[in-house]
Amino acid sequence: MSRLKDKVAAVGVGYSAIERTSSRSLGALTMEAIRRAVEDAGLAIEDIDGLATFPEIPVFGNPHVDGVDVVSTSYMVRMLGLEGRLRWHTQTDNLVPNTFIETANAVAAGACDYAVIFRAMHNPGGRYNAYTSNLAVGRHQFTAPYGSHRGYQYYGSAYQRYMHLYGATREHMATLILNNRRNAHLNPNAYFRDVPLTKEDYMNARMLADPVCLLDCDIPVDGAAAIVLTSGERARALPNAPAYVAGYGQFSSPSLSMGPPLEHLVEGATAVADRMWEAAGIGPGDIRLAQFYDGYSFFVYFWLEACGFCKVGEAFEFIQDGRIELEGELPVNTFGGQLGEGRLHGMGHLAEAVLQTSGRAGERQVRSVDATLAAVGPMNGGSAAIVFTREPV
Amino acid sequence: MAETGVSLPPLPVPDELTKPFWDAAREGRLHIQRCQACRRYYHPPQVICPKCVSSSLEFEAVSGKGTIHSFSVMRDQRVQGFEEKVPYITVLVELDEQPLLTIVTNLPDAAPEDVRTGLRVEVWFERLTDEITLPQFRLAR
Repeated sequence: MSRLKDKVAAVGVGYSAIERTSSRSLGALTMEAIRRAVEDAGLAIEDIDGLATFPEIPVFGNPHVDGVDVVSTSYMVRMLGLEGRLRWHTQTDNLVPNTFIETANAVAAGACDYAVIFRAMHNPGGRYNAYTSNLAVGRHQFTAPYGSHRGYQYYGSAYQRYMHLYGATREHMATLILNNRRNAHLNPNAYFRDVPLTKEDYMNARMLADPVCLLDCDIPVDGAAAIVLTSGERARALPNAPAYVAGYGQFSSPSLSMGPPLEHLVEGATAVADRMWEAAGIGPGDIRLAQFYDGYSFFVYFWLEACGFCKVGEAFEFIQDGRIELEGELPVNTFGGQLGEGRLHGMGHLAEAVLQTSGRAGERQVRSVDATLAAVGPMNGGSAAIVFTREPV
Repeated sequence: MAETGVSLPPLPVPDELTKPFWDAAREGRLHIQRCQACRRYYHPPQVICPKCVSSSLEFEAVSGKGTIHSFSVMRDQRVQGFEEKVPYITVLVELDEQPLLTIVTNLPDAAPEDVRTGLRVEVWFERLTDEITLPQFRLAR
């Protein structure tokens, strides 16, 4: 069972502007997100004594220049003037929910009192994540020479297998895409807030790699978001209703096969979900709404099934008939997902879980949110899932 | 390449771990790494067997036969040297030797509408340079 109960809560959320290409530096956007999160929590920057991020830009060949295409913890410590105050900091690998988990444990252990987790994402322009070398070294040597590089090819192949095995179609997926977009219209931070989308738009969208079209892929943006964590006790003295961290699951071994094959994605997500339920001490029936990683749309199917909301091979039917809409039985990606909000690489899912649990999700707030979850990652290595509750039980 | 106006596909760079794979391919043979203790195959190759932690891993010839596990039809110009090849097929082939022993390949001779999950395929070899030959697959006859 979780050792975190009542010990850690999320108390503040902040976003920078999310733009396709910002005129401001990524460093400036990140400062904006952090300042807003700290202010939202009812704190001052001087109160922050813990800082963490996952700084990678998952784009081939990018230079990793601090403040330009990535933002490191040490860079932000200096920019925020926290050099003399910080008691704890880290950078993790393997996606931002793992950063969140590290930070929650640091707060629970008393390593810091008020910690900020941030994630900054840069859209470098041009053809996003194109393979631009005439050499293929390391892991690329078995893929790039075949013209295979992008996730929509290799994860898309797993989706192709899923469709083949269970009979899912692009028409089924349209329901998820449109649900995301409707929710994005209610999210002031969302890149696609004011851009309408029809089923015909989805069905006619440009195919990138069959069966994946442009609208199955999240949109790369310049932007950042931040979340403030503190102890349960301190949280109760702050203005916002705390979102308590009830438990989490993390770590699944990366696939040893090329692909990775669908079967290994399912295995990885299931390992994470099982640990999450065990730690949180609750099950799918206790969850009011859920945020599932949608860097590619079909990841939502795999998470829904791995978390036990439906059986394997049934998610494409589960999402139909209004079930995942805001008024439905299990609202999904209530902020629009990163298909609707922009590619913050899972940070948006965590932020939305916090806001919904706290009852502060504005127009898109779902009623009676006792427990919610955010499951983030592409199933195999690096994925994690976190349960939040309104009460510190 | 900017000088010639011709964009070349990424050329594999063999390393300590993968050299035997590419050496065999140059000779027209598909060799896959296998743990000599537990007999499990690995692709991509490993330093230590992740199942039995033996360091005794050798490359062995395999049949070159397998099944289409899944595939994708790439229509986007996103890989250098493949700009003029779109649409092209990338396939995950499950080799006969072991469940989920998979290899990424193309099916250069097949049309997208001819490809289906579960079809049988077999290896052939595409010579790229004096040093590098690429294992490729085609639909089995």
